[in-house]
Amino acid sequence: MPEAPMLQVENLDVFYGSYQVLWDVSLDVTNGEVVAVLGPNGSGKSTVLKAIMGLVPIRAGRVIFEGSDLTRVPTHEMVAHGISMVLERRRLFTNMTVRENILLGAYHKSVASQTKDRLEWVESLFPILAERRDQIAGKMSGGEQQMVAIARSLMSKPRLLLMDEPYLGLAPKIVDQIVQIIRKINGEGIAVLFNEQNVKLSFGVSNQGYLLEGGRMVLSGTGDEMMNSDVVRRVYLGV
Amino acid sequence: MTIYLFIEQIINGLIIGSTYALIGSGIALIYGTMRVLNLAHGEFYMLGGYFVFYLAVTMGLAPWIAIPTAVFGAFLLGMAIQRTTIHFLFGREGWMFSTIAATLGLSIFLQNAALLLFGEQFQTVPYYVSGVVELGQVRIPAQRILIFAVSMATIGVMTYVLKYTRLGWAIRATSQDRDAAAVVGIPAERIYMITFGIAAALGAIAAAMLAPIYSINPWSGLPILLKGFVVVILGGLGSFPGAIAGGLILGVVEAVGVQVTSSEWRDVISFGLMIAVIWWRPWGLFGQKPS
Amino acid sequence: MFQPLTPFKWLGILGAIIVMLLLPMVTQDTYLLHVLILAMVFGIFASAWNFVTGFAGLKTFGHHAFFALGAYGSALIGINLGLSAWLTIWLGGLIAALAGLFIGLPILRIRSMPHVAIVTLGFAEIVRITLSNLTDITRGELGLWGIPVFDGFTVPGLGEVVFSPADKVPYYYLAFALLLLSVGVITALMRSKTGLSLIAMRDGEDAAESLGINLTRQKLQVFVVSSFLVGVAGAFYAHYITILTPAAVAGVDLMILIIAMVLVGGLGTLSGPLVGALVLTILVEFLRDLDTFRMLVYGAIIILSVMFLPKGLVTLGRRWKRPPDAAATEAE
Repeated sequence: MPEAPMLQVENLDVFYGSYQVLWDVSLDVTNGEVVAVLGPNGSGKSTVLKAIMGLVPIRAGRVIFEGSDLTRVPTHEMVAHGISMVLERRRLFTNMTVRENILLGAYHKSVASQTKDRLEWVESLFPILAERRDQIAGKMSGGEQQMVAIARSLMSKPRLLLMDEPYLGLAPKIVDQIVQIIRKINGEGIAVLFNEQNVKLSFGVSNQGYLLEGGRMVLSGTGDEMMNSDVVRRVYLGV
Repeated sequence: MTIYLFIEQIINGLIIGSTYALIGSGIALIYGTMRVLNLAHGEFYMLGGYFVFYLAVTMGLAPWIAIPTAVFGAFLLGMAIQRTTIHFLFGREGWMFSTIAATLGLSIFLQNAALLLFGEQFQTVPYYVSGVVELGQVRIPAQRILIFAVSMATIGVMTYVLKYTRLGWAIRATSQDRDAAAVVGIPAERIYMITFGIAAALGAIAAAMLAPIYSINPWSGLPILLKGFVVVILGGLGSFPGAIAGGLILGVVEAVGVQVTSSEWRDVISFGLMIAVIWWRPWGLFGQKPS
Repeated sequence: MFQPLTPFKWLGILGAIIVMLLLPMVTQDTYLLHVLILAMVFGIFASAWNFVTGFAGLKTFGHHAFFALGAYGSALIGINLGLSAWLTIWLGGLIAALAGLFIGLPILRIRSMPHVAIVTLGFAEIVRITLSNLTDITRGELGLWGIPVFDGFTVPGLGEVVFSPADKVPYYYLAFALLLLSVGVITALMRSKTGLSLIAMRDGEDAAESLGINLTRQKLQVFVVSSFLVGVAGAFYAHYITILTPAAVAGVDLMILIIAMVLVGGLGTLSGPLVGALVLTILVEFLRDLDTFRMLVYGAIIILSVMFLPKGLVTLGRRWKRPPDAAATEAE
């Protein structure tokens, strides 16, 4: 019998005010996997990640992580359950230094005592951030900022990392670096769930994907299955 | 007027300005963290004054017990007010206006509650220290030196808290990006409540220090609120260091302005200065236009 | 809101006007008419404040300055130059409008709501303190008295119309005429191109700007017209009450009263300020015996209405008919 997935998202309905953006969305993430949520602009793919993290209220459905129901857990408690998130467009504390930003990633009481070990680990993954520790985060380049954001999210040593559009607004060269970083993170045994608009980029790194269209999950499968799917072609190319 | 008298006035301006800085930094802290303009901030000052009066005069406690107790009382009151009003408006449609309106309602409510509870007579608190400090020909009452020392020490402690403590980091992080702060595990709601409490406590410290030289009365909140507003406009709305500089500048400008005109024009001078700054540098003397 | 009115609504408005017009023929009770006159003065003030705050989105907290400038301006011109109140109330309005232009320019340079709130509040304090300090001219807090009343005149067929404290009926009709004029001006402006761009602004300032709408000019226009109307209301008040003190007409309590009225009635609606003015003016009269609680109640009304009645009384009916919207979230 196969092991239950680490994250089970079941039948989510999400509203912004009276305006529904997600209908009956379900997805699974298995331990140690990299999963992509694919979808065009406005398909609700960001909302899926935000809903899991508790940043937008869930009207109906459940979020189960490692057997416990996290549907109503407030955002600031999620790191204690082993889930962390890199927000869209980095969202650093721009007036604070790189070091301060990274240290804030270990703010929660459940992880604060291991701050020192975590910092060593994170800086070994991103040596450049140790060199730049006193720089004001807001003054760095987009790629460097994304690195700080990822480092910050790793400070709580999550078992699952959510990444909202990790490649958005970055130069192609930087995107390659971020892809390498995601592989590296995954190599540390951390599962990653991210969303992306571009089909090729999505499956450069992930082994499993979901396609979201108009707030509904329309397809799921492995990278190859998705790349060759008629549905993907229809959604993206209008064929 | 002799040069010594003039120097005395400047020093007095700095001393009063240091309490303006306390008021302004409370307003700046709340605005910086929550983007809420607190029109009830003067009432924290007014009620803080009454707390000191009741503890120090009516109950006869020593100032070093009465003042910290009053300040702690104001801290709790600030948290309670945030939790029962602002908390429910924050983030709702049109919250930026509704919080301003609600705090205006709170201000008038608290002012009149104080009038009913404490009566309309003006109260005062005896000097905490007596004597006069002489520096050459310049004479400054020790009480005023104490005001300056306590205000500056409070500002120093607050600066340290914001820069180096876990709470301070959480406040700064929440003020910069609420969602990002929540994601790393900072409970924004609790930080907001504590921020309100701290701002109220800063107001109460100013009230405790000014109680011996100004009277305590139910109407004392509005004038001090407006001073605080001038301070935050000078320093850039939401900037803690700006509020400190703004407070000292306002104190000196008022002191000089009163020498040139007369004391009844004091407030006109400060509001005139504020409108000039808005015209000339809308984001304050040190602030930058937010992107 | 500014679509052509349905016949049903026209009937309602016409009915209200007729009731107001006929009322003094049913009763000449001085006290009742006095309360209604005040309600109408506050109604003008509240409508004009709502015009800038609810429609144009400029959240000002210092409109009482314009009321005071109109009141003192008209009264002082009347006293010192001997001009008729029929003329000076418009001059009072002009003085207020000029002040509106003066303060409107700096606050429109910045879009930040808290800055606007602070500067307008500070400006009103400047006005109050100045009126209070210039005792040679205004007599300060002792009060300015000896303000001339409106000149009487003869209406053919009706006889002589005299403005005196004993007979409130002429004041009543004059206040009603001013109220109709103010609401008419506001409605006309809201239905003009200015109004359309204002609504666009309210729904999204950036979107309006990308359509090439010059926000500043429209907002300034609204601000100045609103100051003028409030100034005229203040001037009427001066010649009606015939005694002014800075605390009464330039104190922040007056602004709080108006804000409470608009919030209770419904911010950003046409009828809300009028309903709020009527309801709260009558409520004040009930609270007369409890004078010490009056402002306490106002404070509580403001807090409770923003918390539990965010759209005001006049939208209650609409909200009952439609299922309530889900709590607004921080949608991005």
